[in-house]
Amino acid sequence: MSDALFRNEPVSSTPYVADGVSIRLAAPLKRYSLRARTADALETVLNVKVPQKIGATEGGIACLGPDEWLLRTPAEAAMPTGTGLPVAITDISERSICLVLEGPRAAEVLMTGCPLDLDNFAVGRATRTIYETVEIIIIREGEDRFHVEVWRSFAAWLWTAFTTAASH
Amino acid sequence: MILIHCPYCDEKRPEIEFANAGQAHVARPLDPSSQSDEEWEAYLFIRANPRGRHHERWRHVHGCGRFFNAVRDTVTDKFETTYKAGEPRR
Repeated sequence: MSDALFRNEPVSSTPYVADGVSIRLAAPLKRYSLRARTADALETVLNVKVPQKIGATEGGIACLGPDEWLLRTPAEAAMPTGTGLPVAITDISERSICLVLEGPRAAEVLMTGCPLDLDNFAVGRATRTIYETVEIIIIREGEDRFHVEVWRSFAAWLWTAFTTAASH
Repeated sequence: MILIHCPYCDEKRPEIEFANAGQAHVARPLDPSSQSDEEWEAYLFIRANPRGRHHERWRHVHGCGRFFNAVRDTVTDKFETTYKAGEPRR
């Protein structure tokens, strides 16, 4: 609970609701950067299935690059460290925050600054990309729901950009 | 906006996700101390500046993060092909 006392979020904890879209701050998550030459090496350490294809997600693990995965989990689970093995498991929980865009206009709001064609972005897909000049990770959790991971220092700006886009 | 094919993501992605990283296939001399000043200068600073077909390194920096090689026409800015780092020159 001490976590709740000290937590200082860069954006409002009150959701922003506009016509067809709502933007809110997701509950705190644990995030791990997983690096290894192959998905198999991570599977051995974590004992879960790790997606092989870039952009795929499976059980909270998103494949971001040929040797990079992002694990997001709400639980405070004990993670293996992989000591002595050719893997790197790094806790990056507080590096970024997650904004949730929900509603039929969610993709439209994202596409005001993101050059990807999100109409053809399958549910369950995740990718690192860019919004204007800010690097983000987009995870399509549902047809009308996107999770946007953004570094803390960029979050206030991104919140303003999203809410401005949503209000138009 | 130009779409660039990332050989690692295996799809066309918007240009602003990428960063140019200079001429490709510039090999570092295996034994730098055996190089003359002129040879070392050539390795460090001298680059091709062709009109037309040019081999370049690019990085999918706001994506998978990987460096790869591309053949781009410097006149038309068209990408002829892209291929993974380490693969032979095309």
